[in-house]
Amino acid sequence: MTINPDLKYSRDHEWVKEEDGLFVIGISDFAQDALGDLVFVNLPEVGDAVTAGEAFGDVESVKAVSDLLCPVTGTVAEINEELLDAPEKLNEDPYGAWIIKVENVTASEDLLDAAAYEAFCAEA
Amino acid sequence: MSELKRTQFYDIHVKAGATMVDFGGWEMPIQYPEGIVAEHLYTRSVCSLFDVSHMGRLLIEGPERLAFLQHVLSSNAAALDVNQAQYCIIPAEDGSAVDDAYLYRFEEDRFLLVVNAANTDKDLAYFAPIVKNYDCTIKNITDVTVSIAVQGPKSGEMLKVLAGGVEVTKPSRNSLSTMDLEGHTVRIARTGYTAEPIGYELFLKNEDAEWAWNRLCELGAKPAGLGARDTLRMEGMLPLYGDEMGVDEDGKPMPIFALALAKFAVSFDEAKGDFVGREALKKQADAQASFKAKNYSPEAMAALPKRVRPIALVDRGVMRHGMAVYRNGEQIGWVTSGTMIPYFMTEGEGENVRLLPETGKRAIGICYIASDVPLNGEVEVDVRGKRLKAVIPSKHISNNVPPYVVPVMAKHN
Repeated sequence: MTINPDLKYSRDHEWVKEEDGLFVIGISDFAQDALGDLVFVNLPEVGDAVTAGEAFGDVESVKAVSDLLCPVTGTVAEINEELLDAPEKLNEDPYGAWIIKVENVTASEDLLDAAAYEAFCAEA
Repeated sequence: MSELKRTQFYDIHVKAGATMVDFGGWEMPIQYPEGIVAEHLYTRSVCSLFDVSHMGRLLIEGPERLAFLQHVLSSNAAALDVNQAQYCIIPAEDGSAVDDAYLYRFEEDRFLLVVNAANTDKDLAYFAPIVKNYDCTIKNITDVTVSIAVQGPKSGEMLKVLAGGVEVTKPSRNSLSTMDLEGHTVRIARTGYTAEPIGYELFLKNEDAEWAWNRLCELGAKPAGLGARDTLRMEGMLPLYGDEMGVDEDGKPMPIFALALAKFAVSFDEAKGDFVGREALKKQADAQASFKAKNYSPEAMAALPKRVRPIALVDRGVMRHGMAVYRNGEQIGWVTSGTMIPYFMTEGEGENVRLLPETGKRAIGICYIASDVPLNGEVEVDVRGKRLKAVIPSKHISNNVPPYVVPVMAKHN
């Protein structure tokens, strides 16, 4: 399992990166490995409100559906449309394949740095 | 997990990195590290090994074995010569299924009946009071034998190597043989549950399990788990008890002739005589024949209100078991099996079909819906609150010309 040292992580295995006032969100390598081959991604629309701790979309493997839980509260500024046709990018490059970018962020979960997230995964 | 049963291959699965799950009381591999998509595609292009040792293997022996089987199975067991097998259903009196099964005749004086793992105990309990009326016995040999499904375009060639260069069975589906493979006696059936044009199921003694598995891996086969087994059978419209057979989402028994393949599994031959469920099944069979002639009379619709059909999603999404299917706003049934299934692009036709390196994936499945939905009829599926467009094609794949399965794309406007 790899952990990108430059990112912050939620306890639901999403990663977060602040970039020019936007919060970029994806799933960790731990998450993609546990989910298995991803074959479909349901994304929100630009302009949708998202809430910390609540689902903003879902990913489907061959066997099951899993919610994507948003680590921050705000408004969806961009979605990664490439994932609609190629959800396997989340398996192949979890830290490169961002899912959504959120603007007007008013709240955030208590996020873990890479070292704390590594310890969190070790206990999981 | 201690109460779960394990097959002879348990250590081999764990060593190969398989994810193990509870399946019908057995601890079985759902997938190996390469994943379900890769395992599905390897089966379609090369050859996969499936541990199917969890399935119930029952030997039916004694002078009245044939009369017993004719009474409790849907098929005409008298039509089986030695070294032939047939698909059959264990009908209930109301014309629904207790289970589905495969009947093998490797030997003159006994039959092997293979039933679903999760139903083995139920089937044995169902047979117990009936078999008492016949001079024959049922011996459960599940624990003392193993079974491996060897499926895919290269499966025949691999087994031929183990047989020292001879074909292991006749080329026709359902042919059987008992062969010496590198000093091990193996019973071989040209059967399977992947819809592959070429595929075999092996029955072996427990002590030969490891040898067979490892030798086939050396020859290029790769293990595949229950996940790929499910996507492969779904693509081929092969029913699974609990999804396409048994009871529906409302708890109502599903008629056996709701399945298109019932006409191959149920025999009304005179030689078979009366059997459990015959009367109900005859009415269902007449209804199925009438639908085939596009006659949706009230009598036929009453005998067979819903049928099991392929379904392909037109909108983006994924269908799952239990999702409601609608026509013009009215619910007409449910999705019984569904997921996103990968396929190879192909070129050429018939025996000249070639698999291309490019692959695709499609949201397809199986549904149980009102019998009068026409071919290519449009329906909607409630995918977690959203009504998505779907279509009812004739099939998902074509598999009548070996060696390759060819995907058939659904037509829609």
